[in-house]
Amino acid sequence: MSLRTVLDGPNTRGTSDRFWAAFGLAVVALLGYPLVASTYAVANAALFLLYAILGLSLCVIWGYCGILSFGQVAFFGIGGYTFGIVGINLSTTTGTALGLLTGVGVATLFAFVLGYFMFYGGVRDVYVTIMTLVVALVVHTFMGQTAGSEWAIGEAALGGFDGMTNIPNLMLGGIELIDTAFYYVVLLVLLGTYLGLRALVNSDFGRAMVAVREDEERTELLGYDTKRIKLLVFTLGGALAGLSGVLYASWGNYMNPAVFGITFAALPVVWVSVGGRDSLLGAIGATYAIEWFSQQLSITGSEYALVVVGGLLLVTILWLPKGVAPAVADWLSEKQSSPSIRGHEEVAD
Amino acid sequence: MNNLFSTGRSSTRRAFLAAGATGITATAGCTGSARQDADVVRIGVLEDRSGGFALNGTSKWQTSVLAIEELNEAGGILGKEIELFDPDPQSDNQRYQELTRRLIQREEVDALWAGYSSAARETIRPLINQYEQLYFYTTQYEGGVCDSTIFPVGATARQQLGAVVPHLIEEYGPRIYTIAADYNFGQISGDWVRILAEENGAEVIGEEFIPLDVSQFGSTINRIQEADPDFVMSMLVGQNHTSFYNQRASAGLDIPIGSSTTMAQGYEHRRLNPPALADMYVGVNYMEEVDTEASNAFVERFYDRWPDAPYLNQEAQNNYFSIHMYAEAAERAGTTDQEAVIEELEKGVEIEAPEGTIELDGDTHHMNHHMRIGHADSNHDLSFGNEQYIGAGFLQEVGCSLPDDPETTQYLPAEVYDL
Amino acid sequence: MIYDTLNLLFQFLDSFAFIVLATVGLAVIFGMMGIINLAHGEFILVGAYGTTLSYGAGLPLALAMGVGVLATTVFGLVLERTVMRRLYHRPLDSMVATWGLSLVTVQLARIGFGNTLSQVGTPLGSISYGAFSYSAYRVVLAGIAVAVLVSLYWLFMYTEFGTQARATMEDEPTARSMGVDTGRIYLGTFGLGSALAGLTGALYAPTITMTPELGASFLVEAFVTVVVGGSSVLVGTSLAGGFLGVVNATFTNLAGTFIGQVAMLLAAILAIRLLPEGITGLIDSWRAKRAEGGQ
Repeated sequence: MSLRTVLDGPNTRGTSDRFWAAFGLAVVALLGYPLVASTYAVANAALFLLYAILGLSLCVIWGYCGILSFGQVAFFGIGGYTFGIVGINLSTTTGTALGLLTGVGVATLFAFVLGYFMFYGGVRDVYVTIMTLVVALVVHTFMGQTAGSEWAIGEAALGGFDGMTNIPNLMLGGIELIDTAFYYVVLLVLLGTYLGLRALVNSDFGRAMVAVREDEERTELLGYDTKRIKLLVFTLGGALAGLSGVLYASWGNYMNPAVFGITFAALPVVWVSVGGRDSLLGAIGATYAIEWFSQQLSITGSEYALVVVGGLLLVTILWLPKGVAPAVADWLSEKQSSPSIRGHEEVAD
Repeated sequence: MNNLFSTGRSSTRRAFLAAGATGITATAGCTGSARQDADVVRIGVLEDRSGGFALNGTSKWQTSVLAIEELNEAGGILGKEIELFDPDPQSDNQRYQELTRRLIQREEVDALWAGYSSAARETIRPLINQYEQLYFYTTQYEGGVCDSTIFPVGATARQQLGAVVPHLIEEYGPRIYTIAADYNFGQISGDWVRILAEENGAEVIGEEFIPLDVSQFGSTINRIQEADPDFVMSMLVGQNHTSFYNQRASAGLDIPIGSSTTMAQGYEHRRLNPPALADMYVGVNYMEEVDTEASNAFVERFYDRWPDAPYLNQEAQNNYFSIHMYAEAAERAGTTDQEAVIEELEKGVEIEAPEGTIELDGDTHHMNHHMRIGHADSNHDLSFGNEQYIGAGFLQEVGCSLPDDPETTQYLPAEVYDL
Repeated sequence: MIYDTLNLLFQFLDSFAFIVLATVGLAVIFGMMGIINLAHGEFILVGAYGTTLSYGAGLPLALAMGVGVLATTVFGLVLERTVMRRLYHRPLDSMVATWGLSLVTVQLARIGFGNTLSQVGTPLGSISYGAFSYSAYRVVLAGIAVAVLVSLYWLFMYTEFGTQARATMEDEPTARSMGVDTGRIYLGTFGLGSALAGLTGALYAPTITMTPELGASFLVEAFVTVVVGGSSVLVGTSLAGGFLGVVNATFTNLAGTFIGQVAMLLAAILAIRLLPEGITGLIDSWRAKRAEGGQ
């Protein structure tokens, strides 16, 4: 199959027929989920799936290009807020579509400017990590004090610490995307993102990305413009995070500055390192599994919920330094001496 | 009582069984529901028991459990047992959204109590509006919410500041310096101080809004000393800001302070070493130190149920009386159907709360409260004075009349007053 | 006029002390061992709680602070033996692991000690000048911050441990082959970093609110300063602390707390952009140039 030659390659683990069969089954299961589950469960699953896009945005820049951004949530939040501003002012089908485009656009532009500033300024490694975190925190501080009426854009008040309310739902062909319809849109976007990223990382450009991750100086000596590669990948990551943020704003009809805070900023890093940073599917599975699990713990109301979440992180990093998905893949390939499926957490609910 | 899995059902035996069943697998497994079961009244309570607001949220949750247990012992509501759903939102706004959705869509609660901060309230308001969920918000807050299914039963900034600002002007003089948390609550409270100052012939000579994550107040203290006001109005919020009072005492800033946020919520007078709060005046509708028969009996019941609780705060009292008030309205309506209960509440309900007998104003969904001025001396001993019965005047001024004119708005003082 | 200058000076001392003390424990652990300790705030928490609880149990304040430091050191040493040693040279993993550790510590502190502790009052009274007064204790803190930097300089430059630690940081295999017990050096360095974080907690315990989240209020300043400072613990921390302290104090004084904070963060971003290797990098290249010029 010609499609397989685009999607398979050395930079993704699942490449066997067996993998693709299992993948197909998982997709069918996810497509069928709304038929058997309650509206609540579907809407809830949509949230985890849209978080997974945020997870993927970090996975591609960190896992495949070696740039750990601790500030993906900044692009997520900017995307969501921009969608809110446009959507509140023009709450029509075209309005929300325009909101989607500007939301992703502004997040992308922001990532591009920040990336240019950093990579062409020689900021590297852990300094990139902390710089991105500081940027998120600056936005957090700024957005927290936008409560007054002077901070309104048209009809849309930024709302300070209390956040922006009345954000409309995304609309498509005159239909408001809520509950099941929203779930399907998120699922398709996630699927498209995943397959697109697979194609990207297995392309020539993808190989150059991985080369930058492995040894930036050597890659540069081989004649690649590593700054440009990093900037492009970082910008792509920003765009995906922005897309995820737009979906988030439409999901809850609400944005607030907590999305720029350190607690939320840590989440994508956690998802990706637990899933396995060079495994796209691992990131998706881990995002879903971790979010679902910590939600369940908070539902129990147990005071040990955060202890368990924190403890699990610690243990995973100590025992499975490469993450769950690579470990599962290794285990399977040892067992069957052929690489196969991994990360089936996403069909567990 | 074992507090490890806090379920808060009425009988200890059931609580124990439920604790066993609250494991992850149990919750994960049952996607089906017992919603058909109309023999119970379903109440949802989302109060923070971990994270930054746990200090304020925990006792709100505890009095909610207490109120529900009392009601169940007396035969429930309409002869039905009350079932409580009380996940822990962990002071996390995103968690609030997820859990509210769950309580509304999946547990189909008949009434919901949720949230300490205004941000938590705003986070879940889209869902409340979309599903027309009967919702009680019990924290003292900036005021102005006029929303068909929401009952903000805590005291508003106008009620609290209206009690304390005129008194301090009379006592100490007309020059006021305002420091407040730099977000909606603080800014609106700052506006109210200015409005009240003008109404009472006083003047705000300085105003500073401080981000919530600031915990170092050296320069703020300098600026207050430079302006040398007759008194300071402090609407600081949260644990970082609480550091101000210690730093103020150690810097020797001994200007009296008026407030709507200290002591009654975070019991700073118990936690901080005297004289950090010397000459602090706070407008409250309740504190556990209020010495009336009803209050003392309530305090005793509370500590019988929760012997290890550190404090019973103003908001906890609000949860307590509003759950009883809900029960009363449902009994009168003869059903827990939300629309019918709201209609009944809108007729106005009088309830004997620990703070005194108070009425719900049906038009605005707000309470008339007994407002008192609590004063802490240099040993942090409290006295109360100037008790006044104050209603939700601002919303009446702007013409909020929910039974005739349903809406989902929040009015701001800046829209009405010339600031 | 003179009072305004004094205000600014005190404000600077205050910011400087806070930034340096918030950072120094993190800087030792990051600079020497490459571990990004997101649980740094929780080390400070242990110090603060240790101090407050033992003061509450009747110890005099100075002694209670000693207990706080000791408790944090032990806490750090135990963690080094059980968790941290698996994370050396895995800076990014260390970030996730310590984030988990931070969640656990905060919540266990809440379960163990409740949502708050009864507070220690600030000692030493105030200094008055004109219409103003300033907490004397906060001036002392600035003195301690300088003293800590000086002692660290002495420790790293003039003691056996310091020489071995610097050698280990520079080139671990060589240091080991020269007979340095690098495992012990790591343990000692981590213990030192923990003790310093504990000291910060102990010193600030009488000024901040005792809640399980108190560590978070130190985290931003600490990370920003470490990055602006660059890899050299002492030079970096003191210069970055001075620079950010000046920016923070000036803007806070001129335009209020919010602007002060934003100005400091923006200054940090600019500094990282202009000096990607931190202030240390600037000094290194300046030294290198001078050395070249001298030849």
